[in-house]
Amino acid sequence: MKILRTLLFTMAFMLLITGIPLGMEHAGAEASQGKVYQIGTDITFAPFEFQDTSGKYVGIDMDLLDAIAKEQNFQYVVKPLGFNAAVQALESKQVDGVIAGMSITDERKQKFDFSDPYFDSGVIMAVRSDNTDITGYEDLKGKKVAVKTGTEGYTFAQSIASKYGFTVVPFDDSSLMYEDVKSGNSVACFEDYPVLAYVAKTKDDLKLVGDKEKGASYGFAVGKGQNQELLEKFNAGLKDLKASGEYDRIKSKYLAENNTGTEQKQGRLELIIDSIPPLLEGLGKTLIYTLVSLFFAFIFGLIFGFMKVSRSKWMRGIATVFVDLFRGIPLLVLALFIYFGIPQALGFKMPLFLAAILTLSLNAGAYVTEIIRGGIESIDRGQMEAARSLGLPYRKAMIKIIIPQAIRVMIPSFINQLVITLKDTSILSAIGLVELTQSGKIIIARTFASFDIWLVVAIMYLVVITILTKISNRLERKVQRG
Amino acid sequence: MGKIRVEGLKKNFGANEVLKGIDVKVEEGEVVCVIGPSGSGKSTFLRCMNRLEEISAGKVIVDDQDINDPKTNINKVRENIGMVFQHFNLFPHFNVLKNIMFAPMELGKQSEKEARTAALRLLEQVGLSDKADAFPSQLSGGQKQRVAIARALAMNPDIMLFDEPTSALDPEMVGEVLGVMNDLAREGMTMMIVTHEMGFAREVADRVIFMDGGYIVEEGTPEEVFGNPKHERTISFLDKVLKA
Repeated sequence: MKILRTLLFTMAFMLLITGIPLGMEHAGAEASQGKVYQIGTDITFAPFEFQDTSGKYVGIDMDLLDAIAKEQNFQYVVKPLGFNAAVQALESKQVDGVIAGMSITDERKQKFDFSDPYFDSGVIMAVRSDNTDITGYEDLKGKKVAVKTGTEGYTFAQSIASKYGFTVVPFDDSSLMYEDVKSGNSVACFEDYPVLAYVAKTKDDLKLVGDKEKGASYGFAVGKGQNQELLEKFNAGLKDLKASGEYDRIKSKYLAENNTGTEQKQGRLELIIDSIPPLLEGLGKTLIYTLVSLFFAFIFGLIFGFMKVSRSKWMRGIATVFVDLFRGIPLLVLALFIYFGIPQALGFKMPLFLAAILTLSLNAGAYVTEIIRGGIESIDRGQMEAARSLGLPYRKAMIKIIIPQAIRVMIPSFINQLVITLKDTSILSAIGLVELTQSGKIIIARTFASFDIWLVVAIMYLVVITILTKISNRLERKVQRG
Repeated sequence: MGKIRVEGLKKNFGANEVLKGIDVKVEEGEVVCVIGPSGSGKSTFLRCMNRLEEISAGKVIVDDQDINDPKTNINKVRENIGMVFQHFNLFPHFNVLKNIMFAPMELGKQSEKEARTAALRLLEQVGLSDKADAFPSQLSGGQKQRVAIARALAMNPDIMLFDEPTSALDPEMVGEVLGVMNDLAREGMTMMIVTHEMGFAREVADRVIFMDGGYIVEEGTPEEVFGNPKHERTISFLDKVLKA
């Protein structure tokens, strides 16, 4: 019982120290007056939202939102979740609104209420700048075309794919789509006009082909029937900005003729050096999430591991269900289920850090359970019998004789699990957790320097995992000798 | 009275009945050797004496306590019954001294100082004074078994159970272990020994029990059982093992 109590205390303590800083990051302004709206957006959708070199989110959407909020006097926090995640987050009421260059469509109107259109878009095609073969849709026959899922460009490309005989390759974010065109896997991409216009103007890699297809307009969205006051404020603010000329000023800041962009051209080395601080910050998050999750995974593992070797059929049954459940669900599905699914079904907001830690620790907990069970069962029965025949009670024999031996068996598996969980944190970028992988994605979105940044990210993972493994191995040797 | 009384003991593993009704009495200071072919149930029988096996029917009474009674504190009973296993079962993460000191200290019987003194004396008794700091993995089989005997003796038991203590040993090491057991017997320890060492049984035992097929087939003094076996199965068993 004493052990259980100590565990509970430690658990509460860990929640406290990890929960405070992680929870704060989304609640920075909450202390001041009024409600703070949580606004979901894409991680990168230049020129509407993207990080500048200092890591601040800028772009037409961001500047508009900022100007409207100032004018209408409301507080907000931007959550760059990625487009799909942001839309899901709005559906499951994790955020109050979404501004992400989102086209107003009839389908979306079923679920969301849209503001007045703040930007008229349209779809256009782009190819690599040195490509002279593709001059129109007819030239796409038998080729691959990259699109971003959920965009108007995607819908348009699909609608003409069979007519012109090309294959559509969908990507989850814009930078990957550009990469695919740059690398030549796809010959062209379809995307909203302003986006491609911005890219074509700021970078030399892509050029526009043909005329823009008339398309829908962009709107700011809230949940159906939700946050109507926010929607009204947005509309009123937009009207005022248009009247004052501020709206045109913002638009021209990103889309003016001969725009050289907010981005200065950087040398490769310079770019890598600049990317290191934000990547290190991401790495820090990766480590914190790994260690905190493993701590809880260990607690789950201890509880269910001992239930698994218990003499009670019921205990064993419960533990088996736990293991089968969380070992059987892919980590990504578990993350999506916990972060989007459960809150939607039960109608509450799930903080990102909680969803992330819950996902990782339940998944790793199932594996740790098996490691602990395997470790204990690997110890010869004779050890328990010898201890019991000396008059030691079961618990004492377990703690003093079986567990110290079992731990030595378990350590290599624990080290393995540490490495796996550390790498698994990258999967949580899918629900918008800005850890190392996501930090890399964000920088690439701005710089398009796939090779250099992924190389740095990969090296960081490698170095950290190697160091952790070395430390663990040293620890293992110490224990084995001890 | 009797130190150990066994009445109508039955034990089955699932549908397989291993002990089919056993009645035995062991007096204080008596040395009883249990012999018989493998699968006869002799090891299971011994393991019922300190409840390492839960019995299916009957009674095992040690020092007037029914050890299978839920009200009996089995840990207290076991403190008084030392057990030595075929595969030694030393604690590999402790050195020799700690193996011996562990139980008396852990159960609050002795202070560390007392336990150390007692352990060193026991090591001397089994002839391993120089191995106090060694780990089990550094010992030979015979040395391991002698440490295991010292470990069991550290709790000052009245009864010692030996489950085929020399079966896992190389032949040249059997003697050193039997020697220690012989000393113990002479000091008046109550002992139950499951063994294949017929010579040893003949020399040391006050009584020999021959088991086969879950029953006690024959029992008596070594002279009776070895010199003049009455039962046919005893004769054929002894014939086989003594010829070998």
